[in-house]
Amino acid sequence: MPSLAELQQQFREAVITGEVQRAAPAALIGGHEPSKRLAVHARNYETSLVEALLVKFPATGWLIGTPFLREAARRFVHEHPPQGPCIAEYGAAFSNFLSNLLRARLPYIRDFSELEWHVGQVAIAVNSPSVDAGEFSTIDAARLPDITLILQPGLRYLDSEWPVDDLLKLYLTETVLDRFELTRARAWIEVRGARGEFHLNRLDRGEFTFRKSISHGRSIGDAAEHALDVNSKFDPGQALAGLIAAGLITAINRGQSKEED
Amino acid sequence: MTSISHHPGVGLRLPHLAEMVVTRPTAGWLEVHPENFLANPHAAELLTELSAHYPISLHTVGISVGSATGIDCLHLKRIRDFADRINPILVSGHLAWSAYKNEYINDLLPLPYTEEALRIVSAHVNQVQDGLGRPYLIENPASYLGFQSSTMRETDFLSELVQRTACQLLCDVSNVVVSAHNMDFDPYQYIDDFPAGAVREVHLGGYTPEADEATPSAELWIDTHAAPIAEPSWDLYVYALRRFGPRPTLIEWDNQLPSLPALMNEAAYANKIALEVGHAFAR
Repeated sequence: MPSLAELQQQFREAVITGEVQRAAPAALIGGHEPSKRLAVHARNYETSLVEALLVKFPATGWLIGTPFLREAARRFVHEHPPQGPCIAEYGAAFSNFLSNLLRARLPYIRDFSELEWHVGQVAIAVNSPSVDAGEFSTIDAARLPDITLILQPGLRYLDSEWPVDDLLKLYLTETVLDRFELTRARAWIEVRGARGEFHLNRLDRGEFTFRKSISHGRSIGDAAEHALDVNSKFDPGQALAGLIAAGLITAINRGQSKEED
Repeated sequence: MTSISHHPGVGLRLPHLAEMVVTRPTAGWLEVHPENFLANPHAAELLTELSAHYPISLHTVGISVGSATGIDCLHLKRIRDFADRINPILVSGHLAWSAYKNEYINDLLPLPYTEEALRIVSAHVNQVQDGLGRPYLIENPASYLGFQSSTMRETDFLSELVQRTACQLLCDVSNVVVSAHNMDFDPYQYIDDFPAGAVREVHLGGYTPEADEATPSAELWIDTHAAPIAEPSWDLYVYALRRFGPRPTLIEWDNQLPSLPALMNEAAYANKIALEVGHAFAR
């Protein structure tokens, strides 16, 4: 008799691969051919996760066709089972998976679907109260470069070789065109949202680099250096004022930076 | 709100959440899957608002007390933190497993009823109750498969689990109906054998018949929660109430969701039946 762990390993193989006849454990009970009932669990697994992905990527379905998206999702769930029980967190790797399937035909598919993933994530965020300019006035100017900031949770940054935000706006506005050609052009996109809403903002490269660095836990000084590396005309003071004015800062951390990049 | 009503409650799913906040229909209580809220701060915020007006129960789907490879302590901690925020009247889960090592299999998978499984499930239920700082209710599964290696009946397994862990039980009456049909046993005998003293909650949900691939010309009943509650479930519900006494009852509907008023109508019908049985649920 197999141990419970061995039995569950066999079940796992049958349900996740979907090959229930090959992988079904022996000595099951249920109908004349019990192994065939294992297909119910395999179907529940596949269907629930495929449907979850379809709900998260409707614009991607619009772009590549829902039947193709469904088939890609079906393959994805068998190759990449969830690593946790919160299905809202499942699908972050789907953009790369789609890119591997479609890169030759749609070189922007990874960025487009990643943008859609980010939109879905920020739309379920909740804004925190923002820090106002007065709180910065209490900080010694010499120490400002060492300070890190906590930004709103509903913020994501996407550096794309393609203007995928324009493409997403076509979907969102239900624009019908006879023909649309996406021309390669780099786009630095900020996705901001909370409580069911979102906005897509284009930034210049310096401001994008600054904000993304800050969001990754780098200090103000470090983030400014990064921004100046990509844009010599970058103005750190103006960029910091922009963050404050937009209500994107939720806390000032006077300790060391996290250096998460 | 911290006290449970004997007026039936409804499973609250995300598509109904905003409407629930706005319209606040009469409902005895609400039950949610916390896994749908842990990674959705906006939904959690709305649920927190509702928790001021309705008793809330948490019905976990990801704790996986039957996993031989252990339970996810980080997930358990997240559930604890969420429970501390919502202050639920009940926290429950399933006699099943859904995780293998670090992979989460998004379904409730069956267990053999053996001493080894009982030892593992008991240890995990103790771990969960310690981790949550609350009693944990275990729900009987809807079964399509069993194991030749099982050495005890499901009701014996549950009785022994209650003895070893002091856990409480959630009797899903529709699961009994589904399992009895699929595994060919008497659902009324099952209710007779169920450890009634430990029952703190009852579930009712819809199921969907389909062709049984394992047996020519037979039907398999699938616990889809995608249909109205069927007559056999209502009949067994009456029988269960007579045996268990009044218990908080929940209407579960997860797929092909009806309108919120239609869902409330199912709860009202459950209340009517309970009153007819003679229990003063509506007081």
